[in-house]
Amino acid sequence: MVQFYGIDIFTVVGGKIVEHHYQMNDNLPPFVEGDVSSAKTSWLGHPSDRPDVIRIILTFSSALAGIVVVWLVLRLAGTRIAPRYSRWVAAGVAAGVAAAFLLVLAFGGVGWSSWGGLLLTVFLAVGGIVLSFPLGVLLALGRRSSFPAVRLVCVAYIELVRGVPLIAILFMGAFMIGFFLPVGFDTPSLETRALIALVIFTSAYVAEIVRGGLQSVPKAQVEAAQALGLSPLKTTRLIVLPQALRAVIPAMVGQFISLFKDTSLVFIIGLTELLAVAENITKQPDFIAQGLIVETLVFASFVYWVGSYSMSRESQRLERRLGVGER
Amino acid sequence: MNDARLTSAATVPGGNGEPMITLEGVDKYFDDFQALKSIDLVVGKQEVAVVLGPSGSGKSTLIRCINRLEKHDRGRIVVDGIELSDDLRNIQEVRREVGMVFQQFNLFPHLTVLENVTLAPRHVRRSSKPKAKESAMELLERVQIPEQANKYPGQLSGGQQQRAAIARALAMEPKIMLFDEPTSALDPEMIKEVLDAMERLAESGMTMIVVSHEMGFARAVADRMVFMAEGEIVEVGTPEHFFENPQEERTKQFLSQIL
Repeated sequence: MVQFYGIDIFTVVGGKIVEHHYQMNDNLPPFVEGDVSSAKTSWLGHPSDRPDVIRIILTFSSALAGIVVVWLVLRLAGTRIAPRYSRWVAAGVAAGVAAAFLLVLAFGGVGWSSWGGLLLTVFLAVGGIVLSFPLGVLLALGRRSSFPAVRLVCVAYIELVRGVPLIAILFMGAFMIGFFLPVGFDTPSLETRALIALVIFTSAYVAEIVRGGLQSVPKAQVEAAQALGLSPLKTTRLIVLPQALRAVIPAMVGQFISLFKDTSLVFIIGLTELLAVAENITKQPDFIAQGLIVETLVFASFVYWVGSYSMSRESQRLERRLGVGER
Repeated sequence: MNDARLTSAATVPGGNGEPMITLEGVDKYFDDFQALKSIDLVVGKQEVAVVLGPSGSGKSTLIRCINRLEKHDRGRIVVDGIELSDDLRNIQEVRREVGMVFQQFNLFPHLTVLENVTLAPRHVRRSSKPKAKESAMELLERVQIPEQANKYPGQLSGGQQQRAAIARALAMEPKIMLFDEPTSALDPEMIKEVLDAMERLAESGMTMIVVSHEMGFARAVADRMVFMAEGEIVEVGTPEHFFENPQEERTKQFLSQIL
């Protein structure tokens, strides 16, 4: 078990599965057993005796140090293998993930109820981004449609959803989605309902961001495409959307970073995502004895920061790559 | 010039005498403002018509009606035997025959020059990629910028961009080319390279309507010149007629200002 300042990293990352193990066995992990007394005599003193600032800095800097080591290793490996093999590395990672899923499925699968921690957070964030992006683009295009009915539906959806707090949509998702399904359909799992709520919420904002991008494409671009004989659909797909989307990369990534952090709100409908796991851990008796509450929460926050900052960096890279020859 | 003589000068096609573009009694309104007033004009196959006139006289509107970038409100427009109607398929058919070059080039900034030129052949005519690329390179050589093929429009000079735009329009193998003030946005030293490309195009027998105030070009290339003011065709004639013996007061006044 990887121990990090007494925080079981697998617990934070893997969620309920490991949490369960504590409750069943009620054994203190080996590190903790001798720790309560020995920590007091270490040169840093017992965690709860240290000033909060020091505790935060210690947690953050050791986590950062870990990241830097990983980054350096990847970087060194990258200069050797990239860019010739970067495609293969990406394919390898994807294959690995797929293989992991298949393995899990082969052993009877892991029920939704076992999903938790970082895994659930990443599932909600990635699923939310992947689904809300196309939906948002369609809504934005629909809002500019020449069919009044389509326009009305899209405007109504966008304005309605934007006027409601995310928490309200999460509650409605948790309790109401079942009512809207036809007879004979099982109500999807709570995790899926949470994802649907996040997608409903985010797509309305994505739609408005994309609409801003669509407006920034000069009318002359459309005319040039029309004059070449391109159909309205192809004009949108080949000329307008590519220019609109690249213009809104910063705003779009901002929205996705927001979504990533907003996944922490699903704890209010009873899901145990990353932050909820961290919170639960601090309530374990042995953790209370060690007084590691600050470290736990700072570490969980650090995980969010790493995710957000990675997205931010990736968006800058994307902008640079697409910005070539921009007018 | 009396009305009957004006009408006959405007409606007898030049070029090889067969009508290519026919406008009959075309009116166009922008809200309450009438941009085109009962325009009659016939342009013949292989003819080069240069349209000139003060700003706001309806020159651009006139040629934008020919490929339906603007919808005319009254009258008939027939392009190579196809009458423009509200039917989208009909409009697409006309647009496939008519290439257009804009004042501001309007190249697609997110695509390379080569991609700009191959876009329409690939997606409208469904040419294969190698075939579209091959003909695009031929066109870029014709406008003398083959070395710019893989650059983005933003990396080119104005003159190069406009020549790329000409190549893009030619890639659809149009029968007619419309030029909407193609040199007005260019620095003086770049105007010649664009006019040279247009002149070579005219020599190859392309039917062209050019909105331009480049009088040297008009004198050398135009079969007929059309002077417009306040939405009307005021005078039509050969370049010799225009420069040596203009009849209308408004024409004389305009020419004295730009020559």
